[in-house]
Order: sequence, then C-alpha cells, then structure tokens
Amino acid sequence: MKTALARQLCRVLILCLGALPFGAYAGMIGTDQVAATVQAQGARDQLREILSRSEVRDQLQNLGIDRNAAQARVTAMTDAEVGRIAGRIDSLPAGGFSGAAALAGLIVVELIWYYWVR
Amino acid sequence: MFAGFFIVLCLLGGCVSLPQTEALARAGGGGLPQRAELVAVPFFAQEDYQCGPAALAMALNAAGVAVAPGSLTDEVYVPARKGSLQVEMLAGARRHGLLAYELAPELKDVLAEVAAGNAVIVLQNLGLFASRPYWHYAVIIGYDLQTKEIFLHSGATARRAMKFGLFEFLWLDGGRWSMVALAPGRLPASAHEERMATAAAALERTGHAAEAHLAYTALLQRWPDSLVGWMGLGNTAYALGQSAEAEAAFRKATTAHPLAAAAFNNLAQVLAEQGKPEAALEAARHAVNLGGASLPAAQATLEQLLGQRH
Repeated sequence: MKTALARQLCRVLILCLGALPFGAYAGMIGTDQVAATVQAQGARDQLREILSRSEVRDQLQNLGIDRNAAQARVTAMTDAEVGRIAGRIDSLPAGGFSGAAALAGLIVVELIWYYWVR
Repeated sequence: MFAGFFIVLCLLGGCVSLPQTEALARAGGGGLPQRAELVAVPFFAQEDYQCGPAALAMALNAAGVAVAPGSLTDEVYVPARKGSLQVEMLAGARRHGLLAYELAPELKDVLAEVAAGNAVIVLQNLGLFASRPYWHYAVIIGYDLQTKEIFLHSGATARRAMKFGLFEFLWLDGGRWSMVALAPGRLPASAHEERMATAAAALERTGHAAEAHLAYTALLQRWPDSLVGWMGLGNTAYALGQSAEAEAAFRKATTAHPLAAAAFNNLAQVLAEQGKPEAALEAARHAVNLGGASLPAAQATLEQLLGQRH
C-alpha cells in the first residue's frame, strides 16, 4: 500500500464487503466468496461485480426483456459473469444467426475451404 | 461480388492457420477413441435467431432435462440482439439444475467430452470475416479421427459432418468457446480444478443445493484437498438441513487448509447450532485470529456467540 489513503480505501472496501449478505444464511460465509478469494480476485473487483448486477438487469430490460425475466436471468449469473457482460451486451457475440442464411453462408465457406485452402 | 470472393480466397490461402487441427493430426488422436457418436442427443431445428434455445434444449435433453426450445427463449434470448449471449447459455443450463461448465479453448478437450458421452455446445462465426461476424450455436454430437470429421446438430441440419479444419476455422473468432451441461454428479472429462470449483459454486448460487452437493462430491473425489469443494459440501449440507454432515465437511476444510478463516467461521456457526457452544467459540476465535477477507464475518460470528453465552 503506497499511501495512507489507499490503506483507508481498502479498509472501507473490506468493511463494505463484510456488510453485504454473502452467505445465504446469516453468519455463514458463502462458497462463491471462498472461490473468489481462492482465485485471488481483488476486493475492488468483487465490489464492482456486485454493483454491476442491477446495471446488467437494466441493460437486459432495455434490450427487450421484461423486468421479472431480466431479474431472474441476472440472478443465475455468477459475479464474474455479470462483470464480463456489464456495459457490453450490445457488442458481445449473440449466437442466433438464422437457419437459411447460415446454410447459404456455410456452403460458400465450405466451397472456399475445399477448393482453395486445403 | 465474385471479385470479393477471390480476394477472400487469397486472404484465406495466406492467413489461415489451424494449430489445433494440425496438433491433433500429429498426435494421432492422443489417446482419444477413434470415433464417438452420441445418438441419444435429440435434434431440435432452430427457429429464426433461436439457435441458442435450440442448442441449449439439445444439451439439456441429453443430460436428462426434458425441455423444449420454446420454453428457453425467455431464459436465453435477447430480442434486440436477435441472439443469445454465452454467459446466459451457461446460466440457462444452471437454472435447470445442471452443471454448466465452460471448456478450455481446446479441440482435444471438446473431443474428450464427446468421447465421454457429453454433448458440447460451440459458438461459431459463420460469416466470412471476423470483422462482420454471424454468430451461431451448434451442438457437437460425434467425431471420427480417421475421416477427420466432426458431427454437429446445427441450424436446420441434424448430424452435419464437417472437417476438423473447417470446424476450427469457424470456431476461432469466438475464442474457441464451448460448454457442456451435465447431470450434477458428473465431472467433465476435461475438467480443470478451478473451473470445476467455479461451476459448482455457480450451481449452488442458483439455489440448487442438492445438485450442487453432488457436484462438490464429484469435485472432491478428483481433488480431495479442494477448499472450495469442502466449503461447498458443508454449505450445501447446511442448506439441506444436514448439520452433522456440514460439521464434518467444515472440519475437513480446516484440516486441509489450516489458514482458511472462512472454514473456521462456518464450523463455528454449525457447532453453535448443534449445541456445542465451547467448541463453537474456539472455532470462532480461531477464525478471527486468522484475519483476512473473512474478518468482518468472523468478528460478527464471535460477537453473536459471546452474546449468546450470557
């Protein structure tokens, strides 16, 4: 820790984490928190991921999903997964390419493959 | 249009490198069975843009969860994106009580899963260019090392055969992403400890305590010292009302990991509930002394136990 301010910030972050309900049961430390610690995730990363949940829920709603469904979908994601998609749902790969067009495209790629690349 | 194709051909001729296909050929299969085919994976033809729900439904049904693609649309389809996100495919499998495991980006791992009887969902770019991707999910249901082919349920085609090289080419742009959805007591054939621990904890997080308990049991059979494994086993046993088993699991965690404050904390809680206050206090004090990230929770536990003593 370089400065007293940085140390103070870390203390505040750790207290914030401690105050949040990690375990599903009062007093018990949840397995996902243990996993995060084992995998050396920083306290700051963990806090950011927690704050991102409602952000991701809102983003899903903006993309055409009703609120309850969006909430259920976010709840099923891990903190790391929420962190991966927060702010990026518009640009991340979204598999869904339609059947007929996919088939035509694939035939073209396959022809290129067999006659020119191999 | 045709000129464009010729440009692409030249680019492809120069730039395409398929290291994993080549490595597989050189290794002569590297211990994998020569061929494997999963005839029990049902085929669901996708509706427009719904390859996510279709692929997920195929994997879920193969793992014993009977669900139609239509009922998965609300779980994994994003209307404005006309498709499904990778993390939602994982979360979708989890919501149905299955272990959703993201594979390492290795062709040999994909084939190892298929050889072990596990269907694999893959993300492909079916477009010609990485800069203009057309993302698509397909399900791998078989392979043949001799003909160098992989078999996929994809789009409107069941059991489409494709050369490994072409498969790798289409798979590259998505980071060679794939996943399996397994019945919870099963370990992925290509499982790595940390990914498996993450996957089991993710399943526990969705509230499937019994299924997660099976996943942790499988994890511990392979990696008997896993801290996440023992903590998970204890926490899921606790959630299922199995106090004695929870205590045993947390004790194992403290033995294998004497510096894990979280293990002592949770042990303290369970001991207190079983009417062993002195042992509980000892464990709680130990958790506090170990400090670390668990300190606030451990202090709260100790205070609670001291309060109960009076």
